[in-house]
Amino acid sequence: MRQEKIRRLVSIALLLVLVIVFGTTSEYFFTTTNILTLLRECSVVGIISVGVSFIIITAGIDLSTGAIVGFTAMICANLLYYTNMPAQMIIVIALLIGTLAGYLNGILVTKLRLPDFIATLSTQFLFRGLALICAIRTSGVITNKVIDNRGILVMGGSISGLYLVTIVFIIVAVLGQIILKKTQLGVYTYATGANRKSAELSGIDTDKVKRSVFTITGFCCGIAAIFLMAKLGSVTPDTGTGLEFEVIAAVVVGGCAFSGGRGDIFGSVIGALFMAILSNGILKYNLPTATQLIVKGSVIVIMVVFDSLYNGYMEKKIREKSKELEELSGGEA
Amino acid sequence: MEAEKLLVMQNIQKSFNDVQVLKSVDLDINVGEVHALMGENGAGKSTLIKILTGVYPKDGGKIIYLGKEREINSRKDAANLGIGVIYQDFSLIPTLSVVQNIMLGKEKNKFGFLESKKMEQHVINLIKEYGFDINPHAIVETLSIAKRQTVEILKALCEESSLIIMDEPTASLSAKESESLFEIINRLRDKGVSILYISHRLEEVFRLADRLTVLRDGRKEAVVEKGEINPPDVIRLMIGKQLSEATASNALKKSTNEVVLKLENLCKKGLFNNVSFEVHKGEILGIGGLVGAGRTEVLRCIYGADPYDSGNIVFEGEPLPNVVNKTIQKGFGLIPEDRRNQGFVPLLSIEKNIVLTNFDKTSKNGVMNAKKEKKLGQEAVKDLDIRPNNPLIPVGNLSGGNQQKAVLGKWLCRDLKVLLIDEPTAGIDIGAKDEIYKIIENLAKDGVAVILVSSDLQELLRVSTRIVVMRKGKVFKEFASGRITQEDILMAASGIQEKEA
Repeated sequence: MRQEKIRRLVSIALLLVLVIVFGTTSEYFFTTTNILTLLRECSVVGIISVGVSFIIITAGIDLSTGAIVGFTAMICANLLYYTNMPAQMIIVIALLIGTLAGYLNGILVTKLRLPDFIATLSTQFLFRGLALICAIRTSGVITNKVIDNRGILVMGGSISGLYLVTIVFIIVAVLGQIILKKTQLGVYTYATGANRKSAELSGIDTDKVKRSVFTITGFCCGIAAIFLMAKLGSVTPDTGTGLEFEVIAAVVVGGCAFSGGRGDIFGSVIGALFMAILSNGILKYNLPTATQLIVKGSVIVIMVVFDSLYNGYMEKKIREKSKELEELSGGEA
Repeated sequence: MEAEKLLVMQNIQKSFNDVQVLKSVDLDINVGEVHALMGENGAGKSTLIKILTGVYPKDGGKIIYLGKEREINSRKDAANLGIGVIYQDFSLIPTLSVVQNIMLGKEKNKFGFLESKKMEQHVINLIKEYGFDINPHAIVETLSIAKRQTVEILKALCEESSLIIMDEPTASLSAKESESLFEIINRLRDKGVSILYISHRLEEVFRLADRLTVLRDGRKEAVVEKGEINPPDVIRLMIGKQLSEATASNALKKSTNEVVLKLENLCKKGLFNNVSFEVHKGEILGIGGLVGAGRTEVLRCIYGADPYDSGNIVFEGEPLPNVVNKTIQKGFGLIPEDRRNQGFVPLLSIEKNIVLTNFDKTSKNGVMNAKKEKKLGQEAVKDLDIRPNNPLIPVGNLSGGNQQKAVLGKWLCRDLKVLLIDEPTAGIDIGAKDEIYKIIENLAKDGVAVILVSSDLQELLRVSTRIVVMRKGKVFKEFASGRITQEDILMAASGIQEKEA
């Protein structure tokens, strides 16, 4: 897959540039602590980006991931506050809520035929609103209750330095890549995104594929909610705000084209790392946040421009290829 | 001996919103035959195919496949019976490999995982069995159109199709590529696969088909063996009337000497090289050649839609700017090849589509004048005989021929000097073709210089007053006067200088 290969190289090159720039100018960058912190920082975005990669490969979009994370975390916070549920139970419930929320997106998109953008924009508002409703209040005012459940706080910890969230991110990413490349659902995900009509003519239930990828994303949001909660130690109605755009940016930088049918999880992992290193490095330099935003914006534009340039180049090449063929066979006609 | 019947469709009927599209259609196909289905647009061909492939349910009639009566309610039912379709617009997944495309929807799984090796072997065996030449690992988007079609055929064969339906399969192939498709079709027939072949191109049908069924107006008009009929009779059956000079005189006509447009050594890397020719006032310059010879690209550069690398385009003695807006102001018009995507805006009405190229006439300081727009729309519908004759109907709802008339309408009300036309009648039925030719001929009579790119040799010979043939991005030969045949053009397009006596 040539386009994918070049795109992969470009993403890796960008990542290397960042690593080299920050690595050579800061003694701090290559310390074990910083690397482990970096991996921790990219993991929440990374876990969600695994699901969102599936969605974007089907030529879809999900704007609701941040809100699903916030809503899930808020429900868990309530359970922790008002009940004595064990942590295991809370985790199962979080995964369930995330998955159901993703499934709801899938239903809106496939049963009610809403465009992905509109469906997930509405659920973004919906879940954010619900999070606000069930926010924990003391005499009417939203208060930031600290989570003190040890079982949950353990999730924010590390095993010999490597944070649990990073380990889970790696597992989720590997599983995602296997599903994408080695199973029928994976092939159908590409087929749905690259040419939905044809996929249907081949007997593929693309609605089912769409529902599946939204549900997978919801499940990933559930995982992300647990770890975000554990890391922050508290939940507010704003938890996870803006996360969806970080995720989409990571996926796009990683090589999934908005037009669908291209990209994979490995690329999105690179994208998530890129985003995290950028934030990390810029923070360490005390540069203004504006720098970070501007660099992120520019990189996304460069990537998308690359995609369109590459498509144009590809068309031209095919044209020249057919021309060669005619040239070869011209004499005997 | 009576041939073994693969498919028998009897008395098939179908209505849409009280309009009976199929009144009574019979079709029978023998095992291992190439059967052509002919008929004008609207005769019911596509409806019949859609019933056969389970897209539409039938209102009445019987479908007997392999000796048993069958109900075909979905595309899957059809595939299960062994009916495969090669779609006009290819239905492949561009970013997947040949193997993945062929096996799409029928993957082999073990413990939830794909058995890639097994699927690959299956496809390789299939490629060998039928003697195709294709790399099973190639990504489809890197393949030429003809190769993609091969993948489509393989896909149908992989479903163990005993009947393959091909709808205008040569529409986007070059002559050379069509030849290899014909070889493939013959090989399939030898293997006992039946082909239902739908095409507007009579010479192909006569070359390939063992029998042909002609539909007219939702009824079966005739079923004939190949040897029993000649092309003009088929046309007569299709349209039910004698066509006025359908195979008109092939003599090229002399035109005026006044040069309107002159191309000097026009070059664009990888597309065309040193293209030079002149176009005179009131002539129809036909440009022949194989698909990919660079004809469309030259037209687009003249019109200003694409830039060129070097060379000159001279219009009435002055260099022509390479900007669409300016060429339009100077009296240029383009009828593009890809009508649906480039020719018109489907959701806009006939009137609004025509206004698109005529804002200078219908608006003042950016404010549109509804009265003037209405007048333009009404005139176009009347002059071009667009049916239905309501200028407020969205162009997307018209038939192919009427859509093309609407596209012509965008230019006819302008003070046209040069009209560039690219494959004006692709996929248009014979009756409407005739009307479009008349419109083009009338334009030339009024002094417009017309450049006509066409892959339809009959069309080229019928309409052009002079013909140049392009080959591999160059002007290969010019036919200025005298009698010329389809063979002459094909020879030139294939690069053979002189016919052996």
